[in-house]
Amino acid sequence: MYNNFVMEIIRLEQVTKAYRKDFIALNEINLVIEKGEFVSIVGPSGAGKSTLLKLIYAEEAPTNGTVYFEGVPLDSISRRNLPFYRRKIGTVFQDSKLLPNKTVFENVAYALEMSGAPNEQIKEDVPQILAIVGLESKTDTFPSELSGGEQQKVAMARALVHKPKVILADEPTGNLDPTASLEILKLLLGINKLGATIILASHDKEIVDRARKRVIVLDGGRIVRDEANGKYKTV
Amino acid sequence: MFIALSRTFKEALSNFFRNGWLSVAAIFILVFSLYIVGLSYVIAMTSNGIIKTMQERMSVSVYFNSSVSEGEIMDIKAALGKYKEIKAVDYVSKEEALEEFKKENANVPTVMKALEEIGSNPLLSSLVIHANDPSQYEALSQVIANSDFKDKISRINYDKNKQTIDNLNNFIAQVKKMGLILGSIFVIIAILITFNTIRITIYVHKPEIEIKRLVGASNTFIKLPFIFEGMIYGLAASLIAMLFIFITVKFAGTYVAGEGFSNQLVGFYLGNFWMMLGLQASLGALLGVISSFIAIRKYLKI
Repeated sequence: MYNNFVMEIIRLEQVTKAYRKDFIALNEINLVIEKGEFVSIVGPSGAGKSTLLKLIYAEEAPTNGTVYFEGVPLDSISRRNLPFYRRKIGTVFQDSKLLPNKTVFENVAYALEMSGAPNEQIKEDVPQILAIVGLESKTDTFPSELSGGEQQKVAMARALVHKPKVILADEPTGNLDPTASLEILKLLLGINKLGATIILASHDKEIVDRARKRVIVLDGGRIVRDEANGKYKTV
Repeated sequence: MFIALSRTFKEALSNFFRNGWLSVAAIFILVFSLYIVGLSYVIAMTSNGIIKTMQERMSVSVYFNSSVSEGEIMDIKAALGKYKEIKAVDYVSKEEALEEFKKENANVPTVMKALEEIGSNPLLSSLVIHANDPSQYEALSQVIANSDFKDKISRINYDKNKQTIDNLNNFIAQVKKMGLILGSIFVIIAILITFNTIRITIYVHKPEIEIKRLVGASNTFIKLPFIFEGMIYGLAASLIAMLFIFITVKFAGTYVAGEGFSNQLVGFYLGNFWMMLGLQASLGALLGVISSFIAIRKYLKI
């Protein structure tokens, strides 16, 4: 048992999420994701992709079943300690969810500031991470002045800066053109190589096929396919 | 803890400037509230001061027959001094009364001439009585008119002052009642408006709050900037409100209530400037902080 916990990072056991009595978003999902994996979750709209991610970063609680992170059931984490849990996870969304009142630098720095990192570390880490995503020239720009691709890169930088164990990306390329989408995928693959676990929910066939990684297909709230070296195919 | 405080304060300061029109709107609503409360305060306190001086000037004079000796009058003065309703009794002798009369009529030649022709002092000695409460003059004059020394009294000038005293009593009662009612209404309106404005300001930031939660910021770290921002609103608004109050009492005061009253208002304002600024700033900051605190609780669901 213990060894399993060392390898696995996320486990869903018999997880069901119902929003109303008649709408079941996820139906008895069993899933194990291991450390360092790159998992693409695909499926038509309403298949339950976003719900699955929300359960993992504890934005929502399952109706039935348990989600484990590093062997710890999430429902055992108090509301007060939830922020500390979330800091282990980096999130990227379709709408990059940047703080509009803050510059690129401040947006990325925020993730470190709130966790109480010292100023010296912030001054050192933020420019470094902005260089990795290729935005070192946009440090003092506000999000509204950036292109969609650039905004998404800032969101990536923010998700990465506190070195999370898992990156959750919910349709990160949904609003982007193919070139920008590819850049985001390259970044995700690069981060994965450095050891972070990536969970990518996507509609984007091109991106999922290019990744050449594990693909989980959801449909109607159930896992209908799970292939180690999968392609984007909906049933 | 210190690092979180300094970071959230910095964030509040930067939000304050970057929010632009929203900050301006919130501040001006607060300015309006503080302005009304502050101006009511200045007017109330000044009116109170005027009423007090008027009350102090009020008195009832008891004139004695010219046959009554000074010694007898002093005995009566001592007796009156024992009444707890009476604040002070002053003796005005014939000579003093004449001096006063001459001073008052120095510019009226006919009066002065008539006085010369009479030759002797036609005025009477009197006791000037000040009551503790202006509403007691009527009862006091009744008591004196029916006292055992009533035969020595030439006249009591209460009747002459009765109208003035009654009017003043009425006025004081009305001002107190109106001031209390209007003041409370204004304060309540001010608090409601401020609360609503800050609520709207925070509502506008609702998506930001959600993003911050998602990124893993603790509730305290999300809340503090808003609370500091509310405090900054309050402080900025108190300064502006003080400026507006000064302009009002100085210029509008002269126009509406005449120069005399306006000068009294300005005098009170300047004399109590720091105390008022302190009160306004604390009230503003308190309003800002409490409104922020309540509004943010709603959206963070703690």
